[in-house]
Amino acid sequence: MSERVRLGIFFIFGPLFLGLYCYAAMGLPQWGHYRGPYGDVISRVAVFERHATDAVNAINYDYRGFDTLGEEFILFTAVLGIMLLLRREEGAADTKADARKQGEKSNEVEDNPALSTTIQAVSLPAVFVTVIFGFYIGLHGQLTPGGGFQAGVILATAPILIYLAQNTKAFKRITSHPVIEVIEAIGAASYGLIGIAPLLLGVPLLTNVLPRGVTGDVFSAGTIALISACVGIEVTAAFLLVAYTYLQEIISGEIAED
Amino acid sequence: MSISAPLPQHLANAVPALPIVLPLLTATVLAVLRKHLPRPVIDAIGIGASLLNLVVCSLLLYEANTQTVVYWFGNWYPRGSIVLGITFVIDPVSAGLACLAATLTTLALLFSWRFVDAGSNHFQPLMLVFLAGMTGFCLTGDLFNLFVFFELMSTAAFALCGLKTREPAPLQGAFNFAVTNTIAAFMVLTGIAFLYSVTGALNMAQIGLLLAHRHDPLVLFACALITCGFLTKAAIVPFHFWLADAHAVSPTPVCVLFSGIMVELGLYAVLRLYTVIFLPAMDTKSTSLRTILLVFGTVTALYGGAMCYAEHHIKRLLAFSTISHCGLMLTAIALQGPLAAAGFLTYLLAHALDKAALFLVAGILLHRLRTASEPALFNQGKKLGFTATLWLLGALGLAGFPGFGTSLGEALTSNAAEAANIRWLSIVFLISGTLTAAAVLRVGFRTFLGWGTKPISDRAAQIDELPETQDGDDTTFWYHIVPPILCIAGAIAVALLPGVREHILNAANRLSNQPAYLHTVYTGETQPLPSLANLDLSARSAAFRGVIAALLAAALALTSVFRSRIPRILRIGAYLEGPLLALRSIQSGHVGDYVLWMTVGIATIGTTFVVMLR
Amino acid sequence: MPPHLSLLPFIVAGWLFFCGLYGIITSRHLVHCVVCLAVLQTSTYMLLLGIGYRLGGAAPVFADIFPGTATVDPVVQALMLTDVVVEAVVVALLLAIVVKAYEKSGCIDPKDLSTLRG
Repeated sequence: MSERVRLGIFFIFGPLFLGLYCYAAMGLPQWGHYRGPYGDVISRVAVFERHATDAVNAINYDYRGFDTLGEEFILFTAVLGIMLLLRREEGAADTKADARKQGEKSNEVEDNPALSTTIQAVSLPAVFVTVIFGFYIGLHGQLTPGGGFQAGVILATAPILIYLAQNTKAFKRITSHPVIEVIEAIGAASYGLIGIAPLLLGVPLLTNVLPRGVTGDVFSAGTIALISACVGIEVTAAFLLVAYTYLQEIISGEIAED
Repeated sequence: MSISAPLPQHLANAVPALPIVLPLLTATVLAVLRKHLPRPVIDAIGIGASLLNLVVCSLLLYEANTQTVVYWFGNWYPRGSIVLGITFVIDPVSAGLACLAATLTTLALLFSWRFVDAGSNHFQPLMLVFLAGMTGFCLTGDLFNLFVFFELMSTAAFALCGLKTREPAPLQGAFNFAVTNTIAAFMVLTGIAFLYSVTGALNMAQIGLLLAHRHDPLVLFACALITCGFLTKAAIVPFHFWLADAHAVSPTPVCVLFSGIMVELGLYAVLRLYTVIFLPAMDTKSTSLRTILLVFGTVTALYGGAMCYAEHHIKRLLAFSTISHCGLMLTAIALQGPLAAAGFLTYLLAHALDKAALFLVAGILLHRLRTASEPALFNQGKKLGFTATLWLLGALGLAGFPGFGTSLGEALTSNAAEAANIRWLSIVFLISGTLTAAAVLRVGFRTFLGWGTKPISDRAAQIDELPETQDGDDTTFWYHIVPPILCIAGAIAVALLPGVREHILNAANRLSNQPAYLHTVYTGETQPLPSLANLDLSARSAAFRGVIAALLAAALALTSVFRSRIPRILRIGAYLEGPLLALRSIQSGHVGDYVLWMTVGIATIGTTFVVMLR
Repeated sequence: MPPHLSLLPFIVAGWLFFCGLYGIITSRHLVHCVVCLAVLQTSTYMLLLGIGYRLGGAAPVFADIFPGTATVDPVVQALMLTDVVVEAVVVALLLAIVVKAYEKSGCIDPKDLSTLRG
């Protein structure tokens, strides 16, 4: 199908779809006047029932914790898929793309200017602050906005900062360590095990069976805090694996050049 | 445990969650140990996990036969009519589909024992996650949970589709698959958001309760979006383009799962959401809805059949036949009512097993003869007698030959159509069955019997598949041949085993009754329903049509195979193979075209719903 | 927001969906195609957050407000969190497919990837 035909057909049916969307949206409750019962009920009871001040994370890890289990395993599966797709194969045939990359790489490393000393000096304190902040966000998931997923992403940016500060060897040593895969799997499995533990006590999966503690403490809200921490571990490891898998060819080239 | 006693409480609180959690945990263990354990151990753990899943799902099916199991995660029971948590509603249909998923996964993992390339052992954990995703999709009673499991299933599927990374074709197929199905998932999510805004609920039963008799444009557009999203997964025209590409490039065990259960789950989701939420919402307009869905189903069935006959790559051929049969199943859903639902379920079960057997035989051909392209397979299969028998039986199953479950499904659906004064539906079944069976028979005649001349080689068949098993092993082991035997035996058992028909009728009856569903979700009790067993079902005319379809299929295949020896007028098969070029060029392999057709589809269905069903 | 503009967030959501579709259909570069898919996915965030907003509502964090004060809807924010994670991982997986496809075939334009034509 030629470009013009494609555009022609799209400009008939696309605006029709957009028009339908807007027409349907006219039937929505007026913006700013949320009236559904679900959110209000949870806002009223979450603090008293679960001693968690952050209602969003109470929903994520307790009321609808099963969805988050599925979501965490989507992340796990995607990382497994990325490692599958970008795996190094023995005896893979050279294509012309590979050859072109080889030629480009030798030029690239010569053209790259050295990083300024300011950046190299600032990067280490920046990494330090990132890691501390990441741990803070992860541990306070049940109290303030944040939690496991957000903390994991923040913590995963710390080694990337190191890589950007041109310390490729340190980056490789951190992220290619085989224990990262194990940590990721342990993080994912621990969510499942925290869910299974209530089964042994005779209540359904993912029931919040740990002591609720005092509202406002770091160690409160039962399994919410624990699940949040495990998810943080898993997400950190997952993103490190993804970063390493994408960069591995470039890194090997850069290290070989040194 | 007697048939009327429920599970003891501590088991009732544990068992329904196991079919999801156990495969996921096993997948994490396998992901860690994949480089350290030898291949047979990892395969064995995978097969063991899916067998365990099968056992647990069978237990749930046994329990659900007497009373629906309602399981509240996190112990969050509903407060009044407001549902706070996520629920699993396990009735016989859900549990049955979960068992089917577990069975096909076990057979697929058994088939891939030791020799199929497993991508350094990533294959087995991904299959287990795929199984968990499918099981959760069947069992859930919450809309957003349905979306999450849809995405889990899809992510594992994208990764499995792109497993063979040595050739560029699998990557293109996986890309097209991923883009179209992700757009579908987000259409579903948009629809869920619209429904949430007017009801304030995410639980299917609560939404069904709140949306009664409401069919304003918002609800209709949400229905259209959700329908289009799930019909994309179900590969209905015009959302079907990704299926042929994905099947042509995936490893055989993965194709078995795609065609056998993943695509059918899209149709199941449509059926479940329509019976619980949308049909009660549309009450007076359900006849118009029936017409719209019948049109799409019929077009899909005929288009799929025609494209199937025109294909020369075995897996793409079988993929188009899946599209055709999914169109037939959509017509069964369109008819509404317990009898049609029973026809849908029977046809689904029989088609899944039959198609799985055909794909497994294609895998055996790929393993023994190192090719999947019809021109290259010509006359190569003369020594594979047993495989040829299985292929022939599979073809008969596609045609709806009496004795196969497809014939029974067609009988039930035709009876439901007669009751609604739609007499042409059985002709559609006949044509679709003839075309797809003829294609399979044509391949069989050329490969196993060596009849006729070498077929014209075309573009699609030239892009052949690399063999997926290692070189140097030229025998068909027991684990290659037992799975297809079991599948064919299952497809026959659906029709011939006594008691299966009654169970399916009861299950369909429970599924179609929305007030009973609401009552069960909110109170946990299952109401007894009037039985359907006293319906007068004549399967004889369907059996007759099945025999006609098989004979016509054989004749069509022969006119194609022996095209040089018969007069020009009679070369019907050859005419069908060649001049369909215009139709085939629409399937261009370009992702922009596929998404364009999806846009055309959602705009058309959206406009039709909003205009006709208001 | 004046009442006659109150449909604006939802129209923006629809517009984002439309732009995403347009981008994918007319794309000439696989990475551009994946990013347009991400744009399409963001339309659902706009829709969800627009649905859950309450004028004058506080954030649903009760660290210093008492439960019972008017807050925005926490449920859609939880749904959006799941949504964002799903989007990020699907985009990552698709980009891996793109990288590998470029490596194996040398083409980056969808119309040059012609191995799977009907």
